Amino acid sequence: MIVWLLLLLAGRAPTTHTVEIRGMEFHPAALTVAAGDTIVWINRDIVPHTATASGRTKWDTGQLSQGQVGRYVARGAGVVRYACILHPTMHGKLIIR
Amino acid sequence: MSHSGHRLTPLGLALVFASALHGQNPMPAPAATPDLSDPEVAHVAVTANNIDIDAAKFAQTRTQNPAVKQFAATMITDHTAVNAQAAALATKLGVTPTDNAVSQSLESGAKQAHATLEPLHGAAFDRAYIDREIGYHQAVLDAIDKLLIPTTENAELRQLLVDVRPAVATHLEHAKQLKARLSPPVRTGK
Repeated sequence: MIVWLLLLLAGRAPTTHTVEIRGMEFHPAALTVAAGDTIVWINRDIVPHTATASGRTKWDTGQLSQGQVGRYVARGAGVVRYACILHPTMHGKLIIR
Repeated sequence: MSHSGHRLTPLGLALVFASALHGQNPMPAPAATPDLSDPEVAHVAVTANNIDIDAAKFAQTRTQNPAVKQFAATMITDHTAVNAQAAALATKLGVTPTDNAVSQSLESGAKQAHATLEPLHGAAFDRAYIDREIGYHQAVLDAIDKLLIPTTENAELRQLLVDVRPAVATHLEHAKQLKARLSPPVRTGK
């Protein structure tokens, strides 16, 4: 709420970004967002996936079956790396400004 | 559709699977035999998924390694999802998967692979299971590229194979990374 109010005062409303999971990859694999923005992952693959933070920041979309979406509201500034728990070769990162 | 330059015959595919399941290098394809029909392709796909699900279920009862357990869980989840998609498509298309020589060879090879894994425990089991998964997924990739996709006539069934391919490639890479992290076999010296 505080982040959202600060963004509002700064004249910038939070926006929503979409990451598609298809072909066993995150698209885009690297995404730049502002604190307070919402990131939505949608799984287009047949097999389930997760987007799970792999650093000190802890968040997890949970298992997403085909067509399901998961959300995360970006907090703080910095680079947050994430991966699919089911497929550790799949990586992505959020660059939060 | 002709891909004769790099195409596997069904008999060649059976030999590739058999050698992969036994941990040997895949053998080259022999002389030409008739293509698989779409119902036979569907049966091969479902059989290949079921074999890997069964191997993973066995691995989960045997391994103590959390990473191997997680890998096995992913194999069960993913291959079950693919089979559900294949079953839904077969129903939609009115296709009844038909047993064939390739499916039978796969099942025979899987039984022999299980017999090889059965007496193993601990790190020796983990290495043998992951080695088997590497060989198996490489053979499945070869089959998808050189036989199943070129042979399949129905566009939706072919698209399903195209969509499944990246998952199989990811499983292969996952298994290779896991193998690199498993402890090497202990050598006993005099």
